[in-house]
Formats: sequence, structure tokens, C-alpha cells
Amino acid sequence: MGTIITVTSGKGGVGKSTTTANLAVGLANLGKRVVAIDFDIGLRNLDMILGLENRIVYDVVDVMEGRCNLPQALINDKKAKSLYFLPASQTKDKDVLQKEKVKKLLETLKADFDIVLIDSPAGIESGFEHSIFLADRALIVSTPDVSSVRDADRVIGIIDAKSEKAKNGEEVEKHVIINRLKPQMVESGNMLSTEDVLGILALPLIGVVPDDEDIISSTNMGEPIIYKEKSLAAESYRRIARRILGEEVAFLDLKAKKGLFSSLKGIFK
Amino acid sequence: MSLIEKIFGKKKGSAAVAKDRLTIMLAHERVDCKLPYLDALRNDLIEVIKKYTHVDDVKITSHNNQSIDMLEVEITLGKK
Repeated sequence: MGTIITVTSGKGGVGKSTTTANLAVGLANLGKRVVAIDFDIGLRNLDMILGLENRIVYDVVDVMEGRCNLPQALINDKKAKSLYFLPASQTKDKDVLQKEKVKKLLETLKADFDIVLIDSPAGIESGFEHSIFLADRALIVSTPDVSSVRDADRVIGIIDAKSEKAKNGEEVEKHVIINRLKPQMVESGNMLSTEDVLGILALPLIGVVPDDEDIISSTNMGEPIIYKEKSLAAESYRRIARRILGEEVAFLDLKAKKGLFSSLKGIFK
Repeated sequence: MSLIEKIFGKKKGSAAVAKDRLTIMLAHERVDCKLPYLDALRNDLIEVIKKYTHVDDVKITSHNNQSIDMLEVEITLGKK
């Protein structure tokens, strides 16, 4: 029986889909059978980040409505052979998902895969509810800014209320991923630090991903950054993937690197 | 923080302001979504108090910070 992990955030644009794509590849590269599902109905995006947009024939709604069977809709990743992807539907009706059908689909996938990774839509409407209600674990992505942290806090507050697991007296295991941290800004006191965010959200940390321009080019190319050997962001994702599987991995040292020149400049700033 | 700032002191960075604003804001927001039982509790309290004395109103306010959650109950008895 696999684990359902939902990647969520409340606020849009904080990097949920990028996180989902990279962790999906990371977990697959660690030998797990992974299926990544895009639940952002009407605003499909995970396909482009994974570089699989040209291979889509059927989507998640087709499966649920019985217009195709599950194996027909699952797309095998180009590189990570144990990774499969189930795209969101591009229908305009974003409330097309039905709880019972979502449940049936997720239970089938859970029986087949080690990890079912759900990319939740932004917001706290029905799409979010569908992506969280069967989750065993939730990864809450937040950038270190006030709007994102505030929305993350709200989402954390309602996860258990919407979860089936919580109804049975268990708790959804929740972890925070801090995304797009700029160490230099934190050091100069102009960006909330990891400690600040964790202090406010009061949840355990599973990873910090530094802001990295290479992520934009990776998305442009449709190849998740986690494949890049030397990127710091990629290393963060690789470590998060290992932590998800229960391994204890040290956190990256993201202190801003200082050369002699910038140290000198710092004195007079 | 640079050496000069360390020596002469400096006004708070914007991150510290952000942290304070968030902490205060969330202390308020968390109340509504985490205490769905507040109304029921209030009604029960009124019933119990009525057994002993007359009661005008019961006001429950919740306060929380990082280490402690607190409910403040204010009972107005009114004049007989």
C-alpha cells in the first residue's frame, strides 16, 4: 500500500508544481514507483514542468468518468522510468471532480504505487479539498513572504478538517518546504528567515530550497532542475526526497557566500 | 549586518517587521478556524451559570501565542 502525499500552499505561484515535479523525479530516482497527479483542473501545468505535455491523450477526468482506463491515461516519464504522470483536465468546469470518484481513483493508485504525489490547486475550494481528503501526508510550500506564510497558516488550519484520516482520529503528517529563500536578503534582515517562518507555522521543516534562476530555464526546457548535478536547488530537492522516505539528511548550508570584496563592501554599506 | 551598523545601531530590517505583523495577524485569524466549538461552549456555560445565578451575557475570547493557547471567559451578570 502506497502513501498519498499532497503538495499544497494556499497561495498560488509559490512553486507547488515545480516542487511536485522535482520531488516526483527525486523519489523515482530513489527507486520508488511514483505517480504524480495534477489536480489543478482547468489550469494544467505540471505537464510542462515535467516536459510531458506532448504525450497527453487522456486526463484525470477521463479516467474518473470511465472514458478510458487508468493505464491508458498514465504517462511514463522520459527519463525516470518508475515515474508516471496523470495530467489535469483542461475543462473549464473546475468543480468537475466528485469525491467518490476521486476516492476510487486514489485508492487504485495507492495499491499500485509506492507514492502518490498530488499537486494541489491554489486556494481552499473544492479542488483543494479533493486533493487533501485522502492524503496521508501534506507538504506545505511557502515562500518567505507575508502573504504566502499567512495563506500557508490558513491551509494548515483546515487540512485536518478536510481530511478523512483526521476523521478517523489520525493526523495528516505535515511538513513545511520553504521555497525561494534568498540567503543574502535574510542576512541583511530583509527577508523572513527559515526560523521565522517555522516559528510562525509551528510545523517541522522538511526542506529549504534557495531561490535559483536556473529553475526558470529548467521549466523552459521541460526538464526538472533536480537532474542538474551541481545546482544548490537541485541538491535541496534531492535531500527532501530522501527525507520523505524517512532518511535523516543534514540541511544544506545556505549562508550567503562572501568573498573578500563583498565583506569589505559590507563594512561600509 | 555590517560593522558600522553593528556599532551605531540600525533600524529594524523589514523582515522583523514582517514577522511581527504576521504574528499578530495570525493570532487573530487562527481563532475562527480552530475553535468551531466556541458557540456551543458559550451556550453550555450560560446554562450552567443559570443554575446558580442570573446571567446577561458570556463573552469568550481566545488568545494565543507560540507557547500557550488561552480562552478568556467574561461573564456579565447584569443587575437584578
